[in-house]
Amino acid sequence: MHYLIEHETVLEYPRTVREHHIELRLAPRSDGHQKLLSCSIETEPAAELASYTDYFGNRVDYFCVIQPHNRLVTRLRADVETLKENPFSFDPVPPAEEQEWLRAAVRKSPPLNDFVLHRSPLTPAAMKLAEAVTSAFPRMESARPKLDALMELLAWVPTVLEYRSGSTEVHGSLTDAVHQGSGVCQDFAHLFITVARSWGIPARYVMGYLDPGICSTGEQLATHAWAEALVPGAGWIGFDATHNLLANDHYVAVAVGRDSYDAAPQRGSFKGDSAGELPTVTVTVQEQEQQ
Amino acid sequence: MNTAGMQGSKPRTPYHEFYADDFTPRDHYRLLWDHIKATGNNALEAKAHESQLALQAEGVTFTVYGESEEGIERIWPFDLIPRIITAQEWTKIESGLKQRVRALNLFLGDLYGEQKIIKDGVIPPELIYQGRDFRREIVGIVPPRGIYTHISGIDIIRDEQGEFLILEDNLRTPSGVSYMIENRVIERRILPEFFNKYRVRRVEHYPALLLAAMRSLSPRGKDAAEIVLLTPGIYNSAYFEHTFLAKEMGVELAEGRDMVVINDIVYLKTTTGLQRVDVIYRRIDDDFLDPLVFRSDSALGIAGVINAWRAGNVAIVNAPGSGIADDKAVYPYVPDIIRYYLGQQPILNNVPTYQMTNVKEREYVFDNMERMVIKAVSESGGYGMLMGPSSTPALRKEFMDLVQENPRNYIAQPVVYLSRHTCYMDGELEARHLDLRPFTIYGEEIEVVPGGLTRVALRKGSLVVNSSQGGGSKDTWVLAE
Repeated sequence: MHYLIEHETVLEYPRTVREHHIELRLAPRSDGHQKLLSCSIETEPAAELASYTDYFGNRVDYFCVIQPHNRLVTRLRADVETLKENPFSFDPVPPAEEQEWLRAAVRKSPPLNDFVLHRSPLTPAAMKLAEAVTSAFPRMESARPKLDALMELLAWVPTVLEYRSGSTEVHGSLTDAVHQGSGVCQDFAHLFITVARSWGIPARYVMGYLDPGICSTGEQLATHAWAEALVPGAGWIGFDATHNLLANDHYVAVAVGRDSYDAAPQRGSFKGDSAGELPTVTVTVQEQEQQ
Repeated sequence: MNTAGMQGSKPRTPYHEFYADDFTPRDHYRLLWDHIKATGNNALEAKAHESQLALQAEGVTFTVYGESEEGIERIWPFDLIPRIITAQEWTKIESGLKQRVRALNLFLGDLYGEQKIIKDGVIPPELIYQGRDFRREIVGIVPPRGIYTHISGIDIIRDEQGEFLILEDNLRTPSGVSYMIENRVIERRILPEFFNKYRVRRVEHYPALLLAAMRSLSPRGKDAAEIVLLTPGIYNSAYFEHTFLAKEMGVELAEGRDMVVINDIVYLKTTTGLQRVDVIYRRIDDDFLDPLVFRSDSALGIAGVINAWRAGNVAIVNAPGSGIADDKAVYPYVPDIIRYYLGQQPILNNVPTYQMTNVKEREYVFDNMERMVIKAVSESGGYGMLMGPSSTPALRKEFMDLVQENPRNYIAQPVVYLSRHTCYMDGELEARHLDLRPFTIYGEEIEVVPGGLTRVALRKGSLVVNSSQGGGSKDTWVLAE
């Protein structure tokens, strides 16, 4: 599929702020699953942009606005081609060899340890959720193919959480969401990740965009969030627990990390009165005609 | 360490630095001993008084944080009887520290690069990935010449046999060097005659050494180097040292709010406008260094400074991320780290250390808590520590729970009876325990300043030397050949 994405963030401050530094993780990834055809970012006030690749492989664009200002706008326009029509098209590894496949992958690439070991309020130890979760956790027996168990987990998450817009805070704790039985896409992704990690399967958080035609929550999403798990034989496979779907070419991945904090689309620091308002984010994702 | 050798504890006598036995001083202390005997306590009292006045006049202070939120500023406690280290002893310390600092810098470069040491199975990945001070934000950035720890203050103790052992590695913002120099200034004033009789090596050139090392890092070249000492401000316990070093080196002392980053260039705000900064000697922790990258609530740091560093436009001393190498949970692996990167046996050994993640070692420690020191791995300054011999059952229970909850966060060591030294305490000569923190500078070469800060546990029998916990200090004389 071919998508044109526009993402505008407006920050407004009741009193002027200055020495404002911003980091953006907004540029869609270019990897085996998608190709970034073009990408441009503009800011108001105008600023000089620079970029680097962070630890998780995300492209970070950053800039600063030094002079006093009340309003700061960033506008991204990206043209992306997604390639992954069928997430199931891979050569599976026999179940008995899956554990060794994962072990070898982590040995070869130590940073994968993060996606197994990382614990935070967003992705706590699974046992910390035990008392809040009423239905039984899906089980991971050793003879069972990992993908099988992960599919069960994918279907299980929406039995624990009900999608309710605005029901949790950005970067709020997962335990709180599970206790109240509702959350937004971040919470769904974090719950999936938390359980997958408890099985020793590397799992990471993905922030990105979703084809509006797929979106079942009945509202215009700004950005979407899902999980990726390292599946033996396949590599990273995307699990969208909010929709109980595997990520395919209707998904555009932007940033990945251990949890939503690592993959936050915008991070900033400024001098001045911090009693600011929430940013206004407008996103459009348009499917383009195939050429 | 293996549990087989853990049994049995013979009665132990600490090593005495000054006396060979009850009646005879060690050879290198004889001159001093003769003098003390000849002049008597009255002369010592006069000199002690003189040193007090000098410290007050110089305003040499430090801050203690206790139960109250606000720190109390105290005059630096100084004992006038010097600690003397022979040339032969020093050769071993010096070569051991150089070896350790070289290996730890290679280790840091590897951790923030290819991580060969993990791939080769020499250290477990959990150690790094669960370490609070492994900074993912700087992976892939290579600091100039691959040097991370331009300044190290590694603590050395002496065990019952007189062997020098490494107690802990301080590679973040080690403090105390100003006191090393002030102690020497005072000592020269009150015991001038001995500086002729003993050939004592100089320590006063430390600021010049550090300045030269920092100049060599300047992205605009040595001659155009603008250097700033970044302090968290007057409430920091080491503020005296910050002002002292800035003055000695002739560099600006500034807080984060005095600086601004514009398009990857760091500037100091001055009365005549913005002035470009080439090297930042930071005395604040990684956590607070850059609110854009690390803790966003930090008001002490400089937003954007990590990106300026990545772009190669500024040098940061010590490099961000150095803290993972002095994590106390990494410490037991340092001998292996030395063997791995240098292919050498460690010249200075570690204190035996039990890892709380190992169930057997943990059980052993729990059974012998009265003989153990338990330390939180990311704390320093004697905070977050259990001293077994002086602990209460309630405190031991508390630490047992803490360790069980997060074993990665703690290590334990058998209590080492630190060596003792004669001190002049309120009119009497008495023995007190002490350690040594020499300072190592990694510039063009690695240099260990011959001397260091000797810290003294002022309370009789106490083994805690940290000045934040009521420790004192001595001038440290390293003798020339």
